[in-house]
Amino acid sequence: MASRTLAVWEHRKVVGLLVRRDLKVKYQQSVLGYAWTMLEPMAMTLVYFFVFGVILEANRGMPADAGAYGGFLLFLVAGILPWTTFGQILGEAPRAMITHSKLITTMKVPREIFPLATVGTKFVEYLLTWPVLLVFVFALGGRPSVGGLLLWLPLAVVLTFMFGLGVTLFLSSVNVLLRDVERLTRILTRLLFYGSAILFPAAMVLDSEDVPGWAATVFQLNPLMGIFQMHRTVWFAGFEELTPTTLALTSSVVGSVLMLIIGYWTFRRLEMSVLKEL
Amino acid sequence: MAQTTYGAEGTGGPVIEAKGLGVSFAVNRRRKRSLREMFIHGSKRDPNAEGDEFWPLRDVSFEVARGDCVGIVGKNGTGKSTLLKLIAGVLMPDEGEVHVRGKVAPLLELRAGFNDNLTGRENVYLVGSLHGMSEKEIDERFEEIVDFAEIKPKFIDSPVRHYSSGMKVRLGFALISQLEHPIMLVDEVLAVGDKAFKRKCYEAIDRMLANQRTMVLVSHSEKDLRRFCNRGLYIKGGGLALDTDIEAALDAYNEDTKVEIAERKKREAEKKRAAEAGREDGEGPTGGQAA
Repeated sequence: MASRTLAVWEHRKVVGLLVRRDLKVKYQQSVLGYAWTMLEPMAMTLVYFFVFGVILEANRGMPADAGAYGGFLLFLVAGILPWTTFGQILGEAPRAMITHSKLITTMKVPREIFPLATVGTKFVEYLLTWPVLLVFVFALGGRPSVGGLLLWLPLAVVLTFMFGLGVTLFLSSVNVLLRDVERLTRILTRLLFYGSAILFPAAMVLDSEDVPGWAATVFQLNPLMGIFQMHRTVWFAGFEELTPTTLALTSSVVGSVLMLIIGYWTFRRLEMSVLKEL
Repeated sequence: MAQTTYGAEGTGGPVIEAKGLGVSFAVNRRRKRSLREMFIHGSKRDPNAEGDEFWPLRDVSFEVARGDCVGIVGKNGTGKSTLLKLIAGVLMPDEGEVHVRGKVAPLLELRAGFNDNLTGRENVYLVGSLHGMSEKEIDERFEEIVDFAEIKPKFIDSPVRHYSSGMKVRLGFALISQLEHPIMLVDEVLAVGDKAFKRKCYEAIDRMLANQRTMVLVSHSEKDLRRFCNRGLYIKGGGLALDTDIEAALDAYNEDTKVEIAERKKREAEKKRAAEAGREDGEGPTGGQAA
């Protein structure tokens, strides 16, 4: 295990090369490359703002005085931007090994670097969403705090990508042996999107009288729910309703670590069969 | 314990050492069962699964010394490429072990790693770095690579998807022949390009071999094998049948092929005879007349 980690570290240059290649291929083909990647989440945000905010009034779950600090629109942007990255990780995870089958079957490198490169590429793209996010934060008047920037933000980013890497290791290897996984993942991504409370404040579910206690607990056990609350609470400092509960925080941290362990364990376990099937 | 190890170069002893090497593939639905086993039963193998296993290669042991050029001969589907993949470390053995001392240049697929959307130049840097060349090394050799590949300067900065397949293969060979790895694994890739380019390839390989480098070559071309190899491994039915010089290995292979062709002819003749006999029985006098 330790020697394997060392081997991956020694091949970090290869990871860098693959990431750079993917970004180059993606952005050189169209002049507006970057603008296009931002256009989709922006368009979706607008749609969701009208449907959920204006028509369905999901903004009633927002704290009363949050309106002055960006309100429901900033809440949506701050959740949808990281989710877009995470959703793309889920989308590409099943193919992370298959697309590199030529390289994997001819070059002797630790196989982990291919899922790692996929997630690495998405990390860079996540950083590229930051200028847009900051524009919204400043324009709408978000309220960040030092504590939020130093605690919630790094924790949210680390957990998002830790969970993402675990999922990618898991899905990329299982999908080689069982191609149905790819389709299943697409459905699950949809479910997770709504189950992680991206479009409405989680407090709406937790405080609702129609939701029984056990359901609220299950809802908080979804590690992604807590992670995406962290992503948003950075810009809404001091609003108790928008900060993860102790249970949600615990399940985020434990869930992400567990996902990485399960993912890596599965990956190593299936490695021999995967190499034969590629 | 099945394993593949890679040591440092120059520690003496054989460069490649294989002991009791074997690899099994699942036939039919076994691979799905292996998934289920993994999650439900852990590592315990289903004893009934034995019959579903297929061993393309089993119990293969040999050593390759520094500077050797070993040719692997055998029929299609007898595990030659699998053996090469095991040495390259891109496939893990189910049985036995391989020890490789020194870095391996796997010339298993010349275009591996080329991305169609990148330019020739970008691809040379990408694939070169993937094989462990530093940017400086590539800088120094870039001219030589492009020159060798006979790619006109105006094309080197256009995307590889506009290249002809010949151009891609030539660029791949030109790049890989610049690698300085002490061990080279070659799988049927010597015969690339047109006649003139092929000659250049042969010369490049001669130069590499003269440099005390070790090569393992899988090929169906007797000419290539005789030209480069000093040793031959004859793989037959998933096992190592002969480990001698290349002439003896090729002779044994040709002998077996001759026997097989003779047998097939005999079988065909018998079938024909049986069919004719059947026709005679069924159609009576007409069949007899035709015969």
